Amino acid sequence: MYEILTVAKKEFMDNWRNKWIIAVSSIFMILTLVISYFGSLRSSGWQDLEATIGGMMSLVQLLVPIIALMLGYAAISGERERGSLMLMLSYPVTRLEVLIGKFLGLGAVLAVAESIGFGVAGGVIALNVTGVQWGDYLVFILSSILLGLVFIAVALLFSSIFKKRSTSLGGAIMLWFLFSMIWGIILSGIIIARYGFEVFTDPDWVGPTWYYAASIINPISAFSVLVSLNVTPVQTNVIRMPSFYTTPLMLLILLAWIVGSLLLAHVILNRQDL
Amino acid sequence: MISIKNLRKEYGTVTAVDGISFEVKRGEVFALLGPNGAGKTTTIKAILGLIQYEGDIFIDGMNARENEKRIKKMIGYLPEKVAFYDNLTALQTLQFYAELKGIHDADLPALLKEVNLERDANRKVGGFSKGMVQRLGLAQSLLGTPELLILDEPTTGLDALGAFEVRTKIRELSEQGNTILLSSHILSEVQELSHRVAILNKGSIVAIDTVENLSKKLDVQPKLRIELEHVSDEMVQQVSALDGVRDVTVEGNVIEAICPPNAKLSIIKTLEEAGGTVVDFKTVEPSLEEIFIKVVKDHV
Ligand SMILES: Nc1ncnc2c1ncn2[C@@H]1O[C@H](COP(=O)(O)OP(=O)(O)O)[C@@H](O)[C@H]1O
Ligand SMILES: [Mg+2]
Repeated sequence: MYEILTVAKKEFMDNWRNKWIIAVSSIFMILTLVISYFGSLRSSGWQDLEATIGGMMSLVQLLVPIIALMLGYAAISGERERGSLMLMLSYPVTRLEVLIGKFLGLGAVLAVAESIGFGVAGGVIALNVTGVQWGDYLVFILSSILLGLVFIAVALLFSSIFKKRSTSLGGAIMLWFLFSMIWGIILSGIIIARYGFEVFTDPDWVGPTWYYAASIINPISAFSVLVSLNVTPVQTNVIRMPSFYTTPLMLLILLAWIVGSLLLAHVILNRQDL
Repeated sequence: MISIKNLRKEYGTVTAVDGISFEVKRGEVFALLGPNGAGKTTTIKAILGLIQYEGDIFIDGMNARENEKRIKKMIGYLPEKVAFYDNLTALQTLQFYAELKGIHDADLPALLKEVNLERDANRKVGGFSKGMVQRLGLAQSLLGTPELLILDEPTTGLDALGAFEVRTKIRELSEQGNTILLSSHILSEVQELSHRVAILNKGSIVAIDTVENLSKKLDVQPKLRIELEHVSDEMVQQVSALDGVRDVTVEGNVIEAICPPNAKLSIIKTLEEAGGTVVDFKTVEPSLEEIFIKVVKDHV
């Protein structure tokens, strides 16, 4: 157990020393404030938190996965390339413990950065508006952290599959494109091909189940559905939410991504020669 | 302490280690000697569970595959190409590895002092010279005074002074009774530091024994080296004709010859009788270089 914590602590302290945590916190804070103050076209000045969350959704969906992938893509492959992975694994620590330690350490980095960034921004907004829904905001922050954890786990998987920093970076970027854009485009493309453009403007149209199911395999969509269900109705990649879209299912999907990625990374890493 | 049985490792089509077996006893310095690509590093990586392998490895009677964590706790390891984290200081580096080994009471400044890095304790490793990195590598391998030290080419890439310092440290550790598995392609180093040696070539052990026994078995005998005031052809002829004397060579005023111990005196006598004046003479033990060349030649 202490081995996991030792690895986690090192990852966290590395990102504390190199100012990543401060940099990422600042980015989140500034962008949240900008969205809240300038985000509304209809009125000028501060929007309340609920409206701000709506505006922050696309920001979080783009930025959190990128930051998580950047944090994690070299965590294994970088150490392998440098040669320090061999020395680390000559100590009484298993490959699974290294993976979990890195996941927890990097997860803590992102969680702290999101909490500080969104938290401070939320505090500033709360000073300027009335009727603050702190509970909703907290759920939003926690959901964003969960999205970040998914992409850290996926980054660790890519870092284990590819033996070089450069290839694991390439893999991470491809994955980001897949889930940020290509997944939605492909699914929409199939819908358009079969049902025509009109369905996207028809509020009463109900699509086939496979479409809704395939949509939420994408963790970014699962995240936005989670926020929609619990915080504020936001634009999701899905046209309309069917009844099987529930909070437990979304949580399950996101957790499955984390556990699945780490387990697969473990299987792959265990078979590799150093 | 270490028992290796039929260790075999293939990388694709390359057979890096081809079914080798050997044992390392507690308290001895055992050397794996061989040229680059012989399979030394591969053997060491297998012991540490860093690679998959065929065959079995036992440490203190425990199967290495099934007791990885317990075994790694007993071992200190200096990799061939040791690499640390550039952003950490020497002290932070040792702190990290000490924690990883579950050691919470280590006197790290004292350990840094042992490898002459006490004044660099708070400098970042990124700015260290190769020699300093290697000495820090040696320091981390000593964390928690491990029962078994595994040092993969500990002096390779160091300058003469750095290599000397590392060798001195290893001899010190050996005198304290540590069990050490050492790999090297430098024959004189192995000769100086180790009790027993396995000579590896192309993944196979071609010889395994103590340095002295190996010499005997291979019939590489000590050489008598005699310095004279001057050397004549007659002297050389007469010495060569003596019983048991062979491989007589002349270089300047020095005659060298391989001979059985009981022939030494008669060689000197013969030289004096032939009009020579002996200035100095001594027996030269065969170097591992000669042994190695012979062994590899015989084997191939
Ligand atoms: N990761 C690897 N992939 C492919 N071949 C390897 C790998 N590691 C070592 N080898 C090959 O295995 C053989 C033994 O290498 P090694 O054990 O490093 O030798 P040594 O340490 O004695 O120089 C060499 O032919 C080397 O090229
Ligand atoms: Mg080697």
